[in-house]
Amino acid sequence: MFILDDLLFRPFVGIVDTLHTMALDELYDVEAIQDELKENQLLYELGDRPEAEYRERKAELEDELEIARDVHERLTSGRIEVKK
Amino acid sequence: MNNRYVYGIVDGDPVEFEADAVRDAEYVYTISHRRLGAVVSDVDTTDPEETDEDARRHDEVLREIMDHDGGRAIVPMQFGMAFETDRSLKNVLRGARPAFRRALNDVEGRIELGLKVVREEGEDVDDEAIEAHVADELEPIAAQSVPNDLFSDRLVLNRSYLVERDDRETFDEAVADLEEAHDDLTFRYTGPFAPYSFVDVKIGAQR
Repeated sequence: MFILDDLLFRPFVGIVDTLHTMALDELYDVEAIQDELKENQLLYELGDRPEAEYRERKAELEDELEIARDVHERLTSGRIEVKK
Repeated sequence: MNNRYVYGIVDGDPVEFEADAVRDAEYVYTISHRRLGAVVSDVDTTDPEETDEDARRHDEVLREIMDHDGGRAIVPMQFGMAFETDRSLKNVLRGARPAFRRALNDVEGRIELGLKVVREEGEDVDDEAIEAHVADELEPIAAQSVPNDLFSDRLVLNRSYLVERDDRETFDEAVADLEEAHDDLTFRYTGPFAPYSFVDVKIGAQR
């Protein structure tokens, strides 16, 4: 019910704004990327993921994390404009 | 190099040694206020970036202090605590003295150990039963324990334990027995670490 509640209680923000922000949140989910970084490390330590693959994935995820943090910073500071 | 990077807080005699320290510092020493000491190295910033290498150096300095004189108690700081001047650091030592005292008391003679129990890819296991079995065997030996994030679907359990140094061997054996009893699972047993998970003193805001 989170979506419905959120839309009902924020009538002035507008449905497009809210959905767009939620989509950005999901796409640039800092916590999910951090979890994946930890999982990558664990699988490598357990010997389930070869070193080359581990390093490649780690570099990818670190880039994603940097972008996600940047997007969130812009979102909260209002520097990303949501198009209607 | 006028700023001070803090690893942790000790009681009593100052600690000093040569080390491969954060941001290429080569010497670790103590800045004291009365009996409390902050173990530091010199840095050129109050906002050090957390690189893999510096995070490892931070941990290794803490581990070395823990091994000093057969086991020194230290209240570990999270990565990134750096102070502008000795005076600002001493002010924090003075202001947070009761909190540091309590924390030192909690970690005295104890170490942190970590346990992750991991299932095979796609394997279905009884998580609750495993958790209960691990708790039955380990909780009576540990002084305290805290759960950590289950950041992967493969994790059945992820916990940190605060264990008396003297109980370390008993704890090791209990983990080995658990591992034997659950040969379909992988046990990732780590440490000893400085007891990060059992210390809740944050001093960053007072920088």
